[in-house]
Amino acid sequence: MNAARPLPHDSPERRALAFLAELSQALTQSLDLDRTLRLAVSRIARFMQAEAVSLFLVDPKTGLLVCRNCAGPVDITGLKLTVGQGVVGRTVSDNATQIVRDAQNDPRVHQSVDAETGFITRSILCAPLRTAQGVIGALEIINRRDGGLFDEDDADILRLIAAPAALAIHSAQLAEGLIEQQRIKRELTLARQMQKSLLPKVRRDSFPVVGVNLPANEISGDFYDYFTLPDGRIAFVIADVSGKGLDAAFLMVRVTSLLRSTGRHASKPSSWLAGVNAELCDTLQDGRFVCAAVGVYDRTAGSVVLASAGFPPALLYDGENFEELPADGPPLGILAEAEYTEHTFQLGARSLYLFSDGATDVHKNDADKTEDSRLGTHGLRDLIVRYTVLSPEPRLRALLGDLKRLTLVDDTTILLVQEPRGKAAFNLLDLTFPAEPAQMRSVRASLRSALDSQEIGPELRDRLVLAVDEACTNIMRHAYRGKGKETISLHLSREQDMLLFELRDQAPRVDASKLKPRDLSECRPGGLGLPFIDALMDEWKVLPGGKKKGNVLRMMKRLTRRDQSSGGA
Amino acid sequence: MSNDNNECTRESLGDYVLVRLRGEVDLSWSQQVRKTILEALDDSSQVGVELSQVSYIDSSGIAALVEGFQNAREKGTKFGLVAASKAVMAVLQLARLDRVFPMFPTLEAARAA
Repeated sequence: MNAARPLPHDSPERRALAFLAELSQALTQSLDLDRTLRLAVSRIARFMQAEAVSLFLVDPKTGLLVCRNCAGPVDITGLKLTVGQGVVGRTVSDNATQIVRDAQNDPRVHQSVDAETGFITRSILCAPLRTAQGVIGALEIINRRDGGLFDEDDADILRLIAAPAALAIHSAQLAEGLIEQQRIKRELTLARQMQKSLLPKVRRDSFPVVGVNLPANEISGDFYDYFTLPDGRIAFVIADVSGKGLDAAFLMVRVTSLLRSTGRHASKPSSWLAGVNAELCDTLQDGRFVCAAVGVYDRTAGSVVLASAGFPPALLYDGENFEELPADGPPLGILAEAEYTEHTFQLGARSLYLFSDGATDVHKNDADKTEDSRLGTHGLRDLIVRYTVLSPEPRLRALLGDLKRLTLVDDTTILLVQEPRGKAAFNLLDLTFPAEPAQMRSVRASLRSALDSQEIGPELRDRLVLAVDEACTNIMRHAYRGKGKETISLHLSREQDMLLFELRDQAPRVDASKLKPRDLSECRPGGLGLPFIDALMDEWKVLPGGKKKGNVLRMMKRLTRRDQSSGGA
Repeated sequence: MSNDNNECTRESLGDYVLVRLRGEVDLSWSQQVRKTILEALDDSSQVGVELSQVSYIDSSGIAALVEGFQNAREKGTKFGLVAASKAVMAVLQLARLDRVFPMFPTLEAARAA
């Protein structure tokens, strides 16, 4: 269009341009879609001198054309048409303005509205509402008030008007979508906070269970829980609800309370699972299910009883080897009569890891998402080995941190059951040597220099060296019984003012209950080693090392400020 | 490991037999110490164990000394520890044996007893 050409003062084009300017400005006033539509329809009706105006938009969910607003004697708001149906439908399907001069005899006209309402449609003009994304609806005007028929000039004007209307409607739609997104986001944040509030608090009192959860999205279908039973045993649970998003989150909330209430009263993990399963089979719908592992840890006896319902295998790590404890029962909520078996074992110095499949579904990198690239439990094992020196909570956070860097494809939850190890912060010494007395001289020398590095006074240093020496020779004499070409591993670490000595062997299990230091007041040559250890260390205990054999002797010494007097003090 | 300064020697000073220990007395050679002390007790009625050059002693070394002490008492033999080093004293105190053994600061004091 050549803008330089002046238009006659009262020409229809001039009037149309003025109206367009006015309409465009009015439509920018609000991002509220309904208000925008109402405004557009009433102004267009007035300007076009039309008896009726209706505005149809394509419903993105159904693909149907829906009358969102109208002006005129008959209210057809809510009327639905398929694309291609009637004049409006044809406008959208053809993406072209339609002119109907003889409505009563035009096959394009849908006669039913007139038949129902008594309104007589004479002439119709309908223009598509176009955006860069395509046709979003149509603007229809019916019957000129002056009784005349719509012509090509009217069609041109309506097409002009439709353009800013489409733009304004589209902006309002986008805004509406954005507001809806923000609303959903707000609700998800609330749901997330609610979920987090359901997870147990991290306990600082050297509690042996710790968990972490990292949702793949705002909310999670995973959860964990732990609580102390009336008899002092510790119950723990980890579960993964099928599906993702809000639905899974709601189910998770329900299952959390169900697992907790059932767990408090169940006598053992297998009946705990069976109870929850029966309840879920009754109430769960549309193929939903829950994978879970539950367990009870008796700290006094050192024993763990574990039962699993379709949960990934648990991992037991003794510092050297992994043992896998597979699931035996089906997920909860599928088979009402399902039975669950139990694994019973001594935890000892081992760490029990339970992890949702999110931890193993992690891919090694973004580019390679084939089945082979999945980290699997082997990848997880590597990470566990890498971070095993960390104390439980930082260790789990480190595991999550690594898993997060690898593309997370599911919610990830890890639960760890382990007796506190005095929070080994940094290693001072790691030695593995043949279980022979002749080795002890150099072991003592290494230990002395490790302790010297901590500026521990010579008196205490020599006492600690003696205790470790006695422990090693006891292992040689009583655990290995002087035979075999086995080894002893000595690990010394320090966390703040606590020194932790750990001696591992592969000898047959030692009955820890029979290790009682004898009374030193009776004078006899043998049996001095254990009383020495008992007198020199603040705390010591013998724990099972591996699955079938091996022992771990853990000795702790807390340093006072006086102990730390350096050098020759 | 073999070229350490561990040493267990025996000297006769008239009737008095002195067993001298050096180095770090531990399980790797405490049997040799035990044997030397028991043999000295078989041969003499006055035995001392000199410990000034012992930088370390473990419970098996202490056990060898206790056995010598008990053996001497049965026979009515004189048995004492001579010039025990700080390291030895610390372990004897720990084992509450520092008041059980006759202890002498010097060889002269031991022989005079």
